[in-house]
Amino acid sequence: MLSAKANGPTREGAVRPGLGWALLGSELAVLFRRLRTWAMLIALAAVPILIAVAVKLSSRPTAPGRGPLFLDRITQNGLFVAVTALVVCVPLFLPFTVGVVAGDTIAGEANLGTLRYLLIAPAGRIRLLLVKYAGAVAFCLAATATVAASGALAGVVLFPVGPVTLLSGDTISVGESSLRSLLIAAYITVSLLGLSAIGLLISTFTDVPVGAMAATVVLSVVSQVLDNLPQLEWLHPWLFSHHWLSFADLLRQPISWTSFGENALLQAGYIAVCGALAYAKFSNKDVLS
Amino acid sequence: MTRARRRWLPALLLPLALAIAVVLGSVQAGASVSLPPKSAEEILAMIARTQVRALSGTVEQNAGLGLPELPASGPGAAPGAASALEFLTGSHTARVYVDGPLKARLQILDQMAERDVVINGAEVWLYNSKDNSATHLTVPTPSLAELKDALPTKPTPGMFASDMPATEMPEPDIPRQDVPTPEALASRFLAAVDASTEVTVAEASSVAGRSVYSLVLNPRSDETLVDSVTIDVDSETGLPLGVEVRAKGQAEPAYSLAYTQLDLSKPDAALFDFTPPQGATVIEKVLPARPVPSMTQPSTPEPDAPASDAPAPDATTPDAPAPEDQLTPGHGSRTHGATVTSEGWGSVIALPAGSAPAELTSNPQLSQALQAVDGGRALTTSLLSVLILDDGRVYAGMVPLERLQSAAAAQ
Repeated sequence: MLSAKANGPTREGAVRPGLGWALLGSELAVLFRRLRTWAMLIALAAVPILIAVAVKLSSRPTAPGRGPLFLDRITQNGLFVAVTALVVCVPLFLPFTVGVVAGDTIAGEANLGTLRYLLIAPAGRIRLLLVKYAGAVAFCLAATATVAASGALAGVVLFPVGPVTLLSGDTISVGESSLRSLLIAAYITVSLLGLSAIGLLISTFTDVPVGAMAATVVLSVVSQVLDNLPQLEWLHPWLFSHHWLSFADLLRQPISWTSFGENALLQAGYIAVCGALAYAKFSNKDVLS
Repeated sequence: MTRARRRWLPALLLPLALAIAVVLGSVQAGASVSLPPKSAEEILAMIARTQVRALSGTVEQNAGLGLPELPASGPGAAPGAASALEFLTGSHTARVYVDGPLKARLQILDQMAERDVVINGAEVWLYNSKDNSATHLTVPTPSLAELKDALPTKPTPGMFASDMPATEMPEPDIPRQDVPTPEALASRFLAAVDASTEVTVAEASSVAGRSVYSLVLNPRSDETLVDSVTIDVDSETGLPLGVEVRAKGQAEPAYSLAYTQLDLSKPDAALFDFTPPQGATVIEKVLPARPVPSMTQPSTPEPDAPASDAPAPDATTPDAPAPEDQLTPGHGSRTHGATVTSEGWGSVIALPAGSAPAELTSNPQLSQALQAVDGGRALTTSLLSVLILDDGRVYAGMVPLERLQSAAAAQ
């Protein structure tokens, strides 16, 4: 409890208001200078490119209704590559990378022995948690944007581009479709916030980053499995992955905002609960390394 | 360690506060509303007088008929008849847009997919996003009323409506009677109200954020499986906003259809102008003025659908119109050949020999749902029974199976 004594969060907040931003800046710099972060982003960027190239090279046209959403329409309109890639990435690839980053937040520092130096700087534990979470959120945004951007790019390069057909059968212009792609990216980023908070929470409980990463990724898979069991229907609206694939509602005409709102509310609930638990655990944690 | 304990406090209080908020929210949603009391007659008059011409809303349908849930998508999904059965299990969400008497749009919101019905005057478009196929129905204007009865994507109300004695039911000439709104369903049930039906008023509540009067129809006849039907009527406009059907001997509601969102302003006109997207498979159909729809012909492929245009075998027109109409012919006495025996809630609809499509018996998933009985197969649910005889006769009704069998034996 020694290290906790000097770091009453409110006091430092009043004394050094600018410190949080400096800390956030250095956190983001460390995160995005890491080789691992870049490797994950490049792997994510490869998914839409792989899809686009595979569809381009295959001689047989894809039958409608087979494979992931819109796969059959990529040849007619390259703008669908981004959506198809996001559909493919949402269940596993994105949670995997986010789990790695979020699970690493506190446990990684503890493992490297840098956590105590971070706390010696008069930053306060709350602020450190917030900064760490902000870093994870930034990665969520970067990961989703990478998939969307690389998908759009691959689609534009390899296929013709034209007006986009929505799920409702209506057609929208290229400009509006890029707006919708941005909305989808925003939706998926929001979807991953709850998982990031869970990763942060688990990360405060251990000094082994790999354990926290694995636990986070496993939880995301478990949540999706539970979401598919009809026997547990009462539980479904409370699972953080419940609305993950509902971003298709943004591809209807008119846009159905219900799932966007429900999803945001649910993720906010996870952030609040996991954040409170993480704060409780982390502020009581004996930081020895 | 008191400081440590105090630090855990927010971690305990916050989930607690969230839980309280959730509970309060759900309590408030179900809370009774205070409305000036009205008699059942007054509420019925309100429904009859309703002036709502345009609306956009989201309806949610829940069916708990005791049938096993059929996968709606994925490798196990069955086309055709099973997709009709699909609406007898689980829950579905749809958006409904109505503008005036001749324009309506229905969007069935599936996971990552959507099925649309766009009605604009004499033109009707059906669109299915799963296989990107569109069907264009053109109707000679005078027979619009007939078309409505034939609309394939008329999933739920149609099915139950069919079991109602719809013979004398007034058919207002507006398409919103065809999109599965609580209003359409309620009008079918209200048409069944007879001397044997007890009509009472339950406590007022709220549906889709609007205060409603609850009208309870209680068929006193023991011939039917229906225990009671509750119709929630908007206190302002008299528009039915929700219908809940309870079956005898089942605690959970067997079937419910209600708005979760409702906006009574005029929807965007562009919603009713449908142009099939590029690359979609388009099937053109012209409906004859009379007799009513070719779609009621069982399992015959549409001759006017060019074979080259035909999509994959499992992807005919959206929702495979035919089987549903066979299962429970939605057109009462108007369908050629179909007869309605007996009156009121216990009525039985009979289709002549050769009506049962082969699909009904050949589909493995359907055969699972069907049980073998003397001289045929039967589908029994807590609310609805269907008897398919080996000679192709079909009997259906909201009655126990024995009644169907005795009706079949009587002929």
